[in-house]
Amino acid sequence: MRTLLALILMVPALAQQPEQPAKPGDQAAAAPAKTEQKTESPAPAAANEWFTGSFDLGYRWVTDVRGNFQSYRSVVNLGEGPKLTGLDFTIQDPKKRLFDRLDARAYGWGGDPYNTAHVDARKLGIYDFSFDYRNIAYFNALPSFSNPLAPAGFDEQSFDTHRRNTSFSLDLRPGKLIVPYLAFDRNSGYGHGIDTWVQDSNDEFAVPTLLRDSTNNYRGGLRIECECLHVTLEVGGTTFKDDDQSTYNGTNSGDRTTPVLGQTLVLKSLQQAYGIRGTSIYSKVLATASPAPWLNLYGQFLYSEPKTTVNYTDSATGNFALLSSLLFYSAQQNLGTGAANQPHTSGNVGFELRPSRRVRIIESWMTDRSHDAASPVLAEQILLTPKTLGPNLVTASNFSDVINYNQQQTDLLMDLSSKVTLRGGYRYVWGDATVLAGQFSQSGAMASGQLKRNVGLAGLTVRPTQKLSVNLDYEGGASYHDYFLTSLYNYNKVRARARYQVGTALSLQANFALLNNQNPTAGVQYDFESRDNSLAVYWTPAGGKRISVMAEYDRSTLRSSINYLALFLSPAVSNYRDNAHTASAAIDIALPGYAGLTPKFTAGGSLFISSGSRPSSYYQPLMRFSLPLQKHVYWNTEWKYYGFGEQFYLYEGFRAHTFLTGLRVSR
Amino acid sequence: MFRPVRNARAMLLAMAALFTAAIWGAQDKSGAPATPPASSQPVEYAGSQACQLCHEDIFNAFQKNPHQLVETSQKPGWGTRACESCHGPGAKHADSASATDIRNPGKLKPAEANKICLTCHLNQPTHVGRINSSHARNQVSCTACHSIHKNGPNGLVARKQADVNKLCAGCHADVWASFQRPYRHRLPEGAMSCVDCHNPHGSFLPRSIQTVRANEPGCFKCHGDKAGPFTYEHPPVRLEGCTACHQPHGSANPRMLTRQDVRLVCLECHSNLPTPKPTATLGTVPPATHDLRAPRFQNCNLCHQKVHGSYVSRDFLK
Repeated sequence: MRTLLALILMVPALAQQPEQPAKPGDQAAAAPAKTEQKTESPAPAAANEWFTGSFDLGYRWVTDVRGNFQSYRSVVNLGEGPKLTGLDFTIQDPKKRLFDRLDARAYGWGGDPYNTAHVDARKLGIYDFSFDYRNIAYFNALPSFSNPLAPAGFDEQSFDTHRRNTSFSLDLRPGKLIVPYLAFDRNSGYGHGIDTWVQDSNDEFAVPTLLRDSTNNYRGGLRIECECLHVTLEVGGTTFKDDDQSTYNGTNSGDRTTPVLGQTLVLKSLQQAYGIRGTSIYSKVLATASPAPWLNLYGQFLYSEPKTTVNYTDSATGNFALLSSLLFYSAQQNLGTGAANQPHTSGNVGFELRPSRRVRIIESWMTDRSHDAASPVLAEQILLTPKTLGPNLVTASNFSDVINYNQQQTDLLMDLSSKVTLRGGYRYVWGDATVLAGQFSQSGAMASGQLKRNVGLAGLTVRPTQKLSVNLDYEGGASYHDYFLTSLYNYNKVRARARYQVGTALSLQANFALLNNQNPTAGVQYDFESRDNSLAVYWTPAGGKRISVMAEYDRSTLRSSINYLALFLSPAVSNYRDNAHTASAAIDIALPGYAGLTPKFTAGGSLFISSGSRPSSYYQPLMRFSLPLQKHVYWNTEWKYYGFGEQFYLYEGFRAHTFLTGLRVSR
Repeated sequence: MFRPVRNARAMLLAMAALFTAAIWGAQDKSGAPATPPASSQPVEYAGSQACQLCHEDIFNAFQKNPHQLVETSQKPGWGTRACESCHGPGAKHADSASATDIRNPGKLKPAEANKICLTCHLNQPTHVGRINSSHARNQVSCTACHSIHKNGPNGLVARKQADVNKLCAGCHADVWASFQRPYRHRLPEGAMSCVDCHNPHGSFLPRSIQTVRANEPGCFKCHGDKAGPFTYEHPPVRLEGCTACHQPHGSANPRMLTRQDVRLVCLECHSNLPTPKPTATLGTVPPATHDLRAPRFQNCNLCHQKVHGSYVSRDFLK
């Protein structure tokens, strides 16, 4: 990837400057000539504009992280050292050889947890090319996810991985009648972590794990773009592999702190390996048509058939128990195999009808169906001693999950006047699912559920003046069958948004959102309500030349209570509360300048304070100072503070200062 | 308390009222037909060069805009009249220089402005759902996000992650506030943008969620290891998606969970006794051998670690 970035950086050097810079007056002089040659290309970019861009190079210091360093890495994860914090350039080749225009940008290089690179290149009517790369560190090691009494420490269920996404896409003949295109995406994860190896629900042992998976996605298709009909045809395929592994040698007593029938369980060695392979083919047809000025039709059909094959093995030695047979043994070997096949079909069709200038009717139907046929087999060989075979347990099953989802929606939009639009609609959602039930299901191996929901929709948009707009949305649903206790059941959803431009410099925006969901069924008693109010102010006097201010405040509350079965299936109530204040602000001040150069000072940041079930606070204030050294060279300095605290989990808090200074060079 | 029957009646009443309003709207005398009537006089175009005489700054900016293709390409049929492809015939305006003699899409109702854009953009991969999107229903016009003349710093539309996020947060301030929480997807850091997960032009999935591999939710673009198909699926992943357990915009709970403790995320669904049968049917109870008082059993995914789906274990143990 670094080589690729180096190549990207070299592109400007490879691109040649025009031999004779065009004069500013040339374009105007050429204008009359264009009137006669009507399809002539636009005037070439001015010579000094063939390359524009900037890069930010700096060094970051991070003070000693006070508090929990693992939490710091899980939430912030910024490190010290030289950084290429930003690179951004555009090349417009005046001779239009390989490309007309190339845009490239890259951020967060030099060991930062988020590296990105993006390149767009295009040649008019010939091709459009796009490349995107992301490398995102995915670290999580929080004590609240492990067993606090684990003898080995608070490291269970932690991981230190990177997820990388790479995408290429190439459109040929863009803008023409038939546009072929090709694309490739790769998503991969690599790293290590601490998982648990579970022994027959008696004990679980924390073991180091190597995590590796990747998915490649290839696709190609055609877009046919006529005046009244558009069709996209696409076929594609994926390959997937997952090769996670665990290896352990030593003495691991696991999480269980009490003996089992007088014996202590212990893991002495483990070799565990997954070999998962997957393939998929898919096809896609999208179409829109406008057979009449008052009618638009659209539809899409999507089909995919992902398949996976499973090879799993583990081999463990130690002292283990099989309580169902009152048996103690010293080793076990598991061998798993299987396959899953999941044909998945989706489709939707609809139309927009405009019977009059004031009325629009939008109708849509949608279906989504997947059938997952699986046949897993797990053979478990128990060894009473290293040389004495014990029972051989085989678990084999063959089942099929079926999930069908359907939706029909009608919307009516009516312009009551040029400033008021009224919306109303109705949505009916229905479906059914048959899935494998949990092992301790008391109602058979398979569980089935249904979904039936009526939803009413309404809305209003008012724009009394160009400066003021108000949007109201309401959705009310009543369900007769649902899949899960926490699903939307009888609910009301309201959203209001208003924006007001007070003069040229001041703009206000207010949002309100409410979701109320109730399931009054005996034994469930689900009562959920979330509210969100936010206000944003943007003030840019004189176009923000001297000062600009942005301030946003959000107040959100969430309360949820539901009956559930707790210890030994005794009824209990789960209450969850989250009351949060969130604010972010930025003030930019242009300081008195010198020699035509203007230094700039920025202060702001964000804060989050919540109370309720997990009271937390997270502060991220920042200050930035930008000092121009020349017209195209800026010295930038940034201070940022991260302060995180939790009331119940005090040991997960941290504080850290980061200090970044560097140069920004632009052209 | 919300009552389904009353709600259904209310919805029927609302539908009836809307239908009546629609009929009224359709019979409104001032309502024009779906397309403007053809004028008895031939429409007169001025050509883009005439526009340049007064609007040179816009004309020059337009030269760097992808829409410049309209000016040079024969396919849309507007060669040398790109300005008038959106603004309508401009000969009269060129003579009078009056703003009332030219169409300004920026001042049209969003639906009418969008109609102009969709004349050419009705399809194309991202636009196929435009007709179906909540942005369209909520009267958000194309020009709310797209700068047609390239007068802004981002050209036709914001491309950089930070710029995209800023654009979306301009309206969705409440959503952006969620990203200030400690556990979130990495949008404030500029590693991701809103359009990585949402298609602002619409999608057949709720909340305009992007799709990958034809019809899979966009979450699997980055979390390919959670896509399966697994030999043992965890039904909520398929039936309700990731948001059944996670708050993808941000949360005060680690791993963006919806509850402060893992056990509550799990047990709120896994509480279905066969009798009396509640309305929801999926989510069996845990075995009584789990002593939920013990810290070892309070974090369910300590053992049930393959909770997104397992290739080996029916109980998601490995």
